[in-house]
Amino acid sequence: MYFYLILERKRGKTMLYYEWKKILVKKGTKMALLVLAAVLAATCYFAIHDVYYVDDNGEHVYGLPAISRLREMKKEWSGPLTEEVIEKVIAENRRINDTKEGRADDVQSSNIAYGWKLGFHDIYYLLMRSFCKFREADYYKPNSLMPEDARYFYGNRVRSLQEWLEEPEQEYRFDDEERAWLIGRYEAVETPFYYDYADGWKQLFAFASTVIMLMMLVLAFVCASIFSGEFQQKADAVFFSSCHGRGKAVAAKLGAAFLFVTVVYFVTVLLYSVIVLGILGADGADLPIQTNHVSWKSLYSLTNFQQYLLIVFGGYIGTLFFSLLTMLVSARTKSAVLAVIVPFFILFLPSFVGGADMFWVDKVLALMPDRLLDMKQCISYFYLYRVGGRIAGSLHILPGLYSLLSVLLFPVIYAVYRRMQVK
Amino acid sequence: MELKIENVTKTFQKTPAVTHLNYTMENGVYGLLGLNGAGKTTLMRMLCTLLKPTEGRILCNGADIFRMGADYRKLLGYLPQDFGFYPDFTVKDYLMYIASIKGVHKAVAKKRVGELLVRVGLTKAENKKMRKLSGGMKRRAGIAQAMINHPEILILDEPTSGLDPNERIRFRNLISELAQDRLVLLSTHIVSDVESIANEILLMKEGELVHAGSPEKIIADIPDKVWKLSLGREEAVSCARQYKTANARSTPSGMELRILSAEKPHPEAVEEMPGLEDVFLSYFGEKAGEDDAVL
Repeated sequence: MYFYLILERKRGKTMLYYEWKKILVKKGTKMALLVLAAVLAATCYFAIHDVYYVDDNGEHVYGLPAISRLREMKKEWSGPLTEEVIEKVIAENRRINDTKEGRADDVQSSNIAYGWKLGFHDIYYLLMRSFCKFREADYYKPNSLMPEDARYFYGNRVRSLQEWLEEPEQEYRFDDEERAWLIGRYEAVETPFYYDYADGWKQLFAFASTVIMLMMLVLAFVCASIFSGEFQQKADAVFFSSCHGRGKAVAAKLGAAFLFVTVVYFVTVLLYSVIVLGILGADGADLPIQTNHVSWKSLYSLTNFQQYLLIVFGGYIGTLFFSLLTMLVSARTKSAVLAVIVPFFILFLPSFVGGADMFWVDKVLALMPDRLLDMKQCISYFYLYRVGGRIAGSLHILPGLYSLLSVLLFPVIYAVYRRMQVK
Repeated sequence: MELKIENVTKTFQKTPAVTHLNYTMENGVYGLLGLNGAGKTTLMRMLCTLLKPTEGRILCNGADIFRMGADYRKLLGYLPQDFGFYPDFTVKDYLMYIASIKGVHKAVAKKRVGELLVRVGLTKAENKKMRKLSGGMKRRAGIAQAMINHPEILILDEPTSGLDPNERIRFRNLISELAQDRLVLLSTHIVSDVESIANEILLMKEGELVHAGSPEKIIADIPDKVWKLSLGREEAVSCARQYKTANARSTPSGMELRILSAEKPHPEAVEEMPGLEDVFLSYFGEKAGEDDAVL
């Protein structure tokens, strides 16, 4: 019995090996991986080139030469973001604005003044978020602040949320319990924040969804032909008439597809992370996400590193789900073309339906699988749901929901494919 | 080994492809003859569990093959008419992969692949990509995959279609060698493919089994007589239009015809001994062999 089990396991591995090889040797796969490599290279370039500083002559310096200088400037402001520091930032901002360059109308002088602000520019953005209304973003607002306004910096965050929740249009969107829950989440975020240079993470997050979304499309393209390929190549008759053709060979196909998606996903994400963080620096991993002005309004108490893990694993679940869905359509319809349309359809569905600007539609769309490919967006959502009587955000629901659906798709694809008839 | 087809019918959207077919096969070579569209491939696909019969059942040593599942397919070797493969695999990789899905252990498969490559004459091409093989080589790779698990039931659907006459002879000899101690069912619409190697011939027409038996019996049972006659060209053309003509050959004085008819077609006609091709023509009419230029 033991010997039999070993033999069976070896047989399974051999099938898995050849299924894996079948995927890799295809011209389509090679092309897809080349496209993915090009996308990765381009994204890394843009993520790095996007970083800049302004020199003493008011000229913008982009990419590699800018990194160390910008880092040096921002490091001067690293430390707890206390009222005193905020006061200093407001005062320094006012001082620069009052200089000859700060008051000048010409672009070059303005750029020189702007360059002096770059060291605390992240904090400047936080001031903008804090002192504007909940749905406003007035870039020049911090210029009107006085140092004594610093004491409202953290309080404004909760207060602006409260004011927003009291607006009449929010009445039907949130009940009292949900309002209290949202305010509780805001209050739970620990203050004062710690500030540090974190441009590596900022840039990593900014382009992560592009990499993950394009990777999902590339992987779906490859997965679309894994099951239908047997029919297209007319290899179906031999496959299904073989001993394991309606059993282990189907499982091996699924296993190879799962491995392929997993390996390509994590290798790509790892390469992207290593390149971007390796060049821009991984400082600021422990900073709360609210220190990046884009996430200032987020409900969630997360560090940059925790957000990174969420983006990576959310993206993986999303990519796996899309790949499995593509394979299901491919197995059912025997058509790679129909199968590859599915992820595009789901990706573009929110663009059409979301135009209705209806809260409940947006609430449903916030649970679509494409949101997993851009978890940073989910971190900023204010859509609340009831799960087992408890309030939850889409971030709480999405990973679990689509992990479960992905797990369920495996046996469904297996059952669909093993019952195929060859006409 | 006994394969019993019991009252099997297969319909595709109300169009019958195989109708109430009954037959029992044991070890030996069975030639399944019929025109294109006669239902040969559908029958074979049902025997390979690729299609489920709409009615009836197929039994292997008394057990329903669809219930046996993998236990039945373990006994099976199948070369489909449209033999597909993985174009980017080498011949060796292809055979090793098929061995794995046929449940042949890796160490055994390596040895078996080596043996089969020698047997089908593909040793030099073992590292060639499948897409780079010629038509004949592909068919030989096809027979190798069908044989890789030492099948007790070997089903070959039109194995010689598209092959040149040399490859066809070579293939026929190969099948003859492989046919020992197993049940081989070979479908074709080319009579010469089965004439010399089949123990039994099954004639299929429009989904039905119209006749079956040993080649001698089939020939003996031919409903028509075979006549040979030489005529002037114009008269020969007119005669050929009137009767089933197995062969028409130009001669210096006109044409020599081989005609199938129950009655003597012409006072000068001489009765000949019938062959399997005559049987084929007798059952399937003028369309017989239309799709094959070699005949």
